[in-house]
Amino acid sequence: MTAGTATAERGGSLAAALGEIVGARHVRTALPERVTFARDGLPTHRHVPGVVVLPGSRDEVVAVVRLLAALGVPFVPRGAGTGLSGGALADDDAVLIVLTRLNRILAIDPVNRIAVVEPGVVNVRLSAAAAPHGLYYSPDPSSQTACTIGGNVAENAGGPHCLKYGVTATHVLGLEVVLADGQVVELGSPGGEPWGPDLVGLFVGSEGNFGIATRIRVRLLPVPRAIRTLLADFSALRTAGEAVSAVIASGIVPAALEMMDQSCINAVEDSVYAAGYPRDAAAVLLVELDGCREEAVAADADTIAGILRAHGARGVLSAADAKQRERLWQGRKKAFGAMGRLSRDLVVQDAVVPRSTLPDVLEAIGRIATAYGLTVSNVFHAGDGNLHPNISFDGRVPGLKARVDQASGEIMAVCIAAGGTITGEHGIGLDKLRYMPLIFDGDALAAMRAVRLVFDPLERVNPGKVVPIHACREWSGVRTHPGREPGDPRAGARGELSELAR
Amino acid sequence: MTERGGFEGLDSCVHCGFCLQACPTFLATGDESDSPRGRIELMRALETGELAPADPGVALHLDRCLGCRGCEPVCPSGVSYGRGLEAARALLTERRGVPPLVRAALGALTGADVSRFVYAVARLLRASGLPRRLAAWNRLGFAMGMLAATAPKVGGGRRRSVEVGRGAPHSNLHHPAPSSTTSPVLLFRGCVMEGLFSHVHDATIRTLQVNGYEIREVPAQVCCGALHAHAGLRDEARRLAQTNVAAFGDDDTPIVVNSAGCGAMLKEYGHLVDTPAKGRAFAARVRDVSELLAERGPRPGAPLDMTVAYDPPCHLLHAQRIAEPPERMLRAIPVMRVISMPDAAQCCGSAGLFTLVEPAMSRAVLAPKLASLAEARPQVVATGNPGCLMQLGAGLAAAGVPATVRHPVELLDESYRGAGYYA
Repeated sequence: MTAGTATAERGGSLAAALGEIVGARHVRTALPERVTFARDGLPTHRHVPGVVVLPGSRDEVVAVVRLLAALGVPFVPRGAGTGLSGGALADDDAVLIVLTRLNRILAIDPVNRIAVVEPGVVNVRLSAAAAPHGLYYSPDPSSQTACTIGGNVAENAGGPHCLKYGVTATHVLGLEVVLADGQVVELGSPGGEPWGPDLVGLFVGSEGNFGIATRIRVRLLPVPRAIRTLLADFSALRTAGEAVSAVIASGIVPAALEMMDQSCINAVEDSVYAAGYPRDAAAVLLVELDGCREEAVAADADTIAGILRAHGARGVLSAADAKQRERLWQGRKKAFGAMGRLSRDLVVQDAVVPRSTLPDVLEAIGRIATAYGLTVSNVFHAGDGNLHPNISFDGRVPGLKARVDQASGEIMAVCIAAGGTITGEHGIGLDKLRYMPLIFDGDALAAMRAVRLVFDPLERVNPGKVVPIHACREWSGVRTHPGREPGDPRAGARGELSELAR
Repeated sequence: MTERGGFEGLDSCVHCGFCLQACPTFLATGDESDSPRGRIELMRALETGELAPADPGVALHLDRCLGCRGCEPVCPSGVSYGRGLEAARALLTERRGVPPLVRAALGALTGADVSRFVYAVARLLRASGLPRRLAAWNRLGFAMGMLAATAPKVGGGRRRSVEVGRGAPHSNLHHPAPSSTTSPVLLFRGCVMEGLFSHVHDATIRTLQVNGYEIREVPAQVCCGALHAHAGLRDEARRLAQTNVAAFGDDDTPIVVNSAGCGAMLKEYGHLVDTPAKGRAFAARVRDVSELLAERGPRPGAPLDMTVAYDPPCHLLHAQRIAEPPERMLRAIPVMRVISMPDAAQCCGSAGLFTLVEPAMSRAVLAPKLASLAEARPQVVATGNPGCLMQLGAGLAAAGVPATVRHPVELLDESYRGAGYYA
């Protein structure tokens, strides 16, 4: 009997074995069910997983991971599937471990301003649970009404208010992690203070490559006592971009500084999230100031409004009350989801450029869109220089998807040439593998892979993502497990798992 | 009917996932296959033929959709999920027929002759008081609880409402009766509403009259066809729709409905009948009773000293996007405290025949709602749809929560009676 068939036989009972751990109804093997897990929030990528398993507790996750380790089967952790880089997709030879059922908030400690959550807790629900204590969880990705904290940790998620308060990594204090072999480790100190090398920082943003976070200890912040939200409208994209730099140069750090162009404005205004953005504006800036003293924040808001007007804003509106503020933000945060109003297919990009280059880069993106005959809508974290060009297209038109990919590549090249990088918050996943060699050389990529191997020596967790190891032999050069070739446990697992699982 | 039968309504989905947390079945299972986004994936695959309607994996998750349409008002791209679902269900039904239980229930509840007998027996049983005592979580017990919930009631919960204001003129002095000119409206009676909730029709007629409407009957009307359409029986739904369009004539007299499910269906006739223009004209006349009452204030009644949790039916809130009028209506009752549960906008799990054919999922969806009601302890849970009244009533009874369920219009009616408007 060869190793391959031995694995195949074990794989044949995989679904049954998984069912013994989590209950048969939480194991999905039927094709239609697996198809519903074949995409994330960037639906141009489609990979049908071999088996889907939905554990209901930390112990079940551990048992599942240990079973898969014993069988040498690769797996992919997934939260709500709202990621935007194809990161939470599994192929037919892998098991997708869906963590949505691990959705308990385990503790809220208002005195120390700490919460402990399971990975499937939806971002906005944590803030809702903390609200009675006057606290909230600060990272607020636009998908926060749907995305999970576990996914936020994997992607090191950002969001509008990260301009002032920092991205997910700033707010994660400790993690309990199940490694690829089923070992459970604690990263970070119990009190959240730095403790040895920053392994928490290493894990946050590892895109599911280092294991599964089963408990997440996060920082909570006091809800700001004073808030001002300004909406400035501009008749040109360039002046709006220049105003962004001017605001930052003022020395006042806004809580958030967002930009939306006309195409986005109209999509939102056509939707249930219509916020009253001026449809005739070439772009709007949404600027939020916050702090603990009403007068100080009001004074800052006046200063910023003056700067915006001096830099070409036709008008600056200040949200009259919490309700209007909420509407302005809902419009911004749901803009991505409203893109379906423009066309049936969508690719969203995620790049970061130095703020000062925004006006030029935005114009360059506009030129690329025109050259390719595509609609590109911009809605992004301007204060961070974190661009999100949304390319709308109809995938049924032959050849159009290829043109979209080319245009995406050119946009990325422009951002890199401007001194930027290929992701701000969406991660590399599958979608941006092809751009990695544009910013990292072989040594850097090899180093990244070496770090990954510390956590996952057999590269069984979320295989094929982030570091393009298989694309380029010369820098895949880190020595891996001796049995990577035939005889490797993974070799046998690479069959059609879904077939085996039946 | 459009060329693609409703599937085109799904085209604008860009997979953002903003619908996930609005979906009661996704919240119950955490499974993408039980989410709007996952089901859209299934429906698209059905349309392209990538998945077959005979595939049990497809049917399982489409059957498990409540059709509450809670995903629609949160969708930034305005995906017409409900229309896509009806198209998909029509394909499933074409392939496998209607499950026997669904067929039997449709016959019993909507069949012209059968239902008259069924409702008569049900009313007798209800009058015996037996269903109230048998209410429980098991299948029979839940059905009994549902039947018990249809009984006419006064006051709320185990506490009798304080009958302040009976015949007392104090509030009326400030709120004179509306002007003597009356507007005619046509009453849509439906099937379950007529069979088990005729007291709600009576309350509808009386409260509308107090607010200056004159109610006219339309004898040739039939069932709205909602249960048929949800079961994938489009042709039957279409036939019923055509009959109703003809029965209600083609002037512009408003058609008043007190069942959210029927109202939502009647407003969809433009997509269903052979002459869409006629269907649209009919749909434009359809008004929920709360809309008509809210338009006239409505006139305040006598105080009712009770706490009422208002639970909007999905087919009122999500399908018809009617949020404010029922609350205005309830606010016309002095003293009464109206509360809203944080999860009020979530489906109760009734969803027409869903509670009968998918009991496990239905109860799982109901559970969180019952838990929050058990904590808030209102005397009355008010909701404007027969299915929701029965589902919530049965759930409250089975869980031993001492609250009664009532249609909002019944509360206004009781308040008006106390004010002496009917004297």
